Amino acid sequence: MKGILSIYYSIAVVITTVVWGCAPSVPASYEEAEGPAVVSPDNFGATLPSNIAPLNFRILQSDASEVVTRLHTRKGGEVVAGGRDVSFEEKEWRTLLQEASGDTLFCDIYMKADGNWQHLPTQHFLIAEETIDPYITYRLIRPSYVTYEELTINERCLENFDERVIYENMRFEDSDQGQCINCHLPRDWNRNAQSQFHVRQAFGGTVFIDGDQVTKVNLKTDSTLSAGVYPAWHPTLNLIAYSVNETGQVFHTLDPQKVEVIDYASDLILYDVDANTVQHIDRTASEFESFPTWSPDGRTLYYISAHYTPRADNIDADLDSNYDSLHYNLYARDFDLQRRRFGPRRLIFDAESMGKSASVPRVSPDGKYLLFTLADYGQFHIWHKSADLWCLSLDSTDTQANVQPLQAINSPESESYHGWSSDGRWILFSSRRDDSNYTRLYISYFDKDGRAHKPFRLPQYSADSDDLLLRSYNAAEFLVKPVQPTPQQLRKAIKADAKPATYGGSALLHPETDTTAVRPTANAAERRRETVGY
Amino acid sequence: MKFRLPFAVAFVAFALFVLLGPLQPYLRETGALTPFYSDEPFTAAFFQSCFACPWLGACLFTGCLVVIAFLQRWAFRLNDDWFGFCWILPFALFANYTRMGYLIYTTKATAPAFTPVLWTAVILVVLGVILGFFPRPKWQPRKFVRWLSAVCFVIAGFVAYNYSFRDQNFLSILRMKHAAEEGEWEQVLQIAREEKQEPTRAQVCLTRLALFKTGRMGDELFAYPEGSAPYNAPQNQWLRLMIGPLLYYHYGKLGFAYRWAMEDMVEYGERPAYLRYLHCVARLNGEEALANRYERALARTLFYKDVCEREEAETTSIRPLLNYTDQLDGDNGLVEFYLLNSFALSEGGSRELVELSLMDGLITKNLTGFWPHFMALLPTWQGHIPAHYQEAALMVAQLQGGSPIPDLPIAPTVQQRFQRLVDASARLGDNVANVAALRPEFGDTYWYYYFFVEGLKTN
Repeated sequence: MKGILSIYYSIAVVITTVVWGCAPSVPASYEEAEGPAVVSPDNFGATLPSNIAPLNFRILQSDASEVVTRLHTRKGGEVVAGGRDVSFEEKEWRTLLQEASGDTLFCDIYMKADGNWQHLPTQHFLIAEETIDPYITYRLIRPSYVTYEELTINERCLENFDERVIYENMRFEDSDQGQCINCHLPRDWNRNAQSQFHVRQAFGGTVFIDGDQVTKVNLKTDSTLSAGVYPAWHPTLNLIAYSVNETGQVFHTLDPQKVEVIDYASDLILYDVDANTVQHIDRTASEFESFPTWSPDGRTLYYISAHYTPRADNIDADLDSNYDSLHYNLYARDFDLQRRRFGPRRLIFDAESMGKSASVPRVSPDGKYLLFTLADYGQFHIWHKSADLWCLSLDSTDTQANVQPLQAINSPESESYHGWSSDGRWILFSSRRDDSNYTRLYISYFDKDGRAHKPFRLPQYSADSDDLLLRSYNAAEFLVKPVQPTPQQLRKAIKADAKPATYGGSALLHPETDTTAVRPTANAAERRRETVGY
Repeated sequence: MKFRLPFAVAFVAFALFVLLGPLQPYLRETGALTPFYSDEPFTAAFFQSCFACPWLGACLFTGCLVVIAFLQRWAFRLNDDWFGFCWILPFALFANYTRMGYLIYTTKATAPAFTPVLWTAVILVVLGVILGFFPRPKWQPRKFVRWLSAVCFVIAGFVAYNYSFRDQNFLSILRMKHAAEEGEWEQVLQIAREEKQEPTRAQVCLTRLALFKTGRMGDELFAYPEGSAPYNAPQNQWLRLMIGPLLYYHYGKLGFAYRWAMEDMVEYGERPAYLRYLHCVARLNGEEALANRYERALARTLFYKDVCEREEAETTSIRPLLNYTDQLDGDNGLVEFYLLNSFALSEGGSRELVELSLMDGLITKNLTGFWPHFMALLPTWQGHIPAHYQEAALMVAQLQGGSPIPDLPIAPTVQQRFQRLVDASARLGDNVANVAALRPEFGDTYWYYYFFVEGLKTN
């Protein structure tokens, strides 16, 4: 027995010695190098929430035979990692971040080349005092055109690397019936476990989640262009504003922007969830309204609209050749909470006068800022390299003068599909900055003075997982708590017949004075549009 | 052992003969259509990707099937008399793959060749282990069983051979495609010349592309076989699925090449066949980061690491075709139709673009832009006007009611030949009779194509 114990002890000593000997350590002597480390993803300089998952990265310098990375705080906490693929243990990383909250987290990288150690210039992360909403949802999709396969709406915990599929379209896939799922949007950051998403084609309808209850509604009526498309939950009432769109895709022969997603007609509707009725908000024929969003008090609905004067009988052909002539401005309508009626529209931001086009307005939770994308034309900016995020101060009476691009966020490639965290301190947005094609999610700190800080890419367990993933993340939203229903519950509800919504007329306070030309709805059914992938 | 070996040798000989003989291009294409990074059965996908190197893939596939035969013998504890029956399943699995033909493009199974084989092997191993708990059966030596099993072996082999998809047009398309992807344009033309049967539009398109690449379009295009033989498969956009991105890429319609490679990747997975064109287009578009992403993806494969190396030579010949104004468009999957009309109706651009406009105008029999394109190219021909353009000039001048422009250097032989056609046509009268009678002498001219080749179905 004593002999066996002795053997165990010896093995333990050997293992401990080997492990300890292999543990990375900062070299005792080194020279100072001039150039910084080249890493992917390059999140250095970004402001991080203290509850974010480790920002693992890969060092791209290939001439180093050994690499040691040391993270440390002013208070003395440190973590040391070895190798070119730098990954941190979650618990150690979290401890460091909490220690550095409101301060700086430093990163020193040491590389050994030609037998000599070099210390690269110290990098840093700023650690905000505010934490971030722990969950996000997004759709994972190939940056495709009209085909789609294996679409998933996913939920990811930002505090670690846990990711789960809320729903995947292949559950009803067969050779004849596909499903396109999109626009998962929580109400009030999912505080009350309410959200919705659309299912197109097979078993189509809009799926409403309320706790673990799931229902499916057909929002298309004879009087509306389409079922609901881009949604906006009212913050206090059980209402959802939607755009209804006749959307199509046309393809560039040479331009690397590759595809234009064009609305050939669009209106706004208001869906009363309790009454299951759909009302028109705006269906002016000469205006293409889209992307509604509510102010936090629910008294104002913001949206975009482009004025369109037909130059030919064939609107499709006309817009296909003049796709860059559509410029969307930002508008607002006051909403009477008691009567549930909208007032006349007013111009908030005239993008057209700048030769630009605005899209995807989103108001900050404190109601002070309106974040939107601005590009050269159109509204589907994820395909537009000129698309940048801009911020408009709603406190100002002259909103046109108080608009500025978020320089710290923007890149030469497309930025779009952004959302606010529940406290308004974090902006989640999609960007194609990495390769102009595959959308990745970035998160930026938005401080109390209205400044955006350098963003960081959604943390991944493996530094190269984004590199290997030939799919795009899109339409991401923050959540304070996870979505409840299981995929099986969703599947059951989706398989059931959709409850048809009924049309309830106009939701305008003075419908007779607001619109002069009402869009005829007869043409809507005649158009057959391809499903939009983005 | 004596009785087992002939079966195994005969099967291996049969399988390698079929796989490395007529089906070799099919194997190679199967390799390119195997999503390598899939999280589907990795082993099956890995094995199937080895078809990229046909002899390796064929040996692996054959070897696995031989193992299946021996696994049956082991699992069911059969003696040698029954061994011939053990080859029915390998022949069936063999035919299961070789009979797919065009459907290899549209199958959503990751590895249709190897997945059934490997699953069968797994099931046999499990069965063998389970049956191992039971007493071993005692087989009596029976001569008639031995003969019956041998007959079964032969019949199974015969059926498997007949079920294998050996459609000549299909295999020709694949051979031409592979030659084109290697820049072997002369080989593409040689395959086109060797064909005995009516070609499909895919073969015609590849021939035209090869003639364009070799600069012989104006002299030889109408001398090659024309036709629109149906694809030996259920209705689908086979041309687009097989060579759509290739044609669009080489003709400079980069947006469409990228689009269809991406659309097909969405539908059928991350196949090297698509990644290759996604990479090529990204590189030519100047999207370096994107091209590098695809290059890294291809670098993870075993057989497509160096597929991008030929690109530099390719891009040199494609760049002149990019000298046109971008526009929004759609092809509805009709690749040839779109390309022909797009070039036939375009104006200006580089010399190469103008020549495509001229030729595609002739092919579509849309002669409205003939003279502007012809006159624009005239100085570049430096005295030698390609034969088909001389023929067209003569004909268009006649159709427009005038005699040929005297300054044009139309060869007397061409003029005399045209006159012979006019005389013969007037003599023969009836159009149907003309088609057959004039073909031997004039079948290689534009005149014959213009007047007598009708009803071709572009796709």
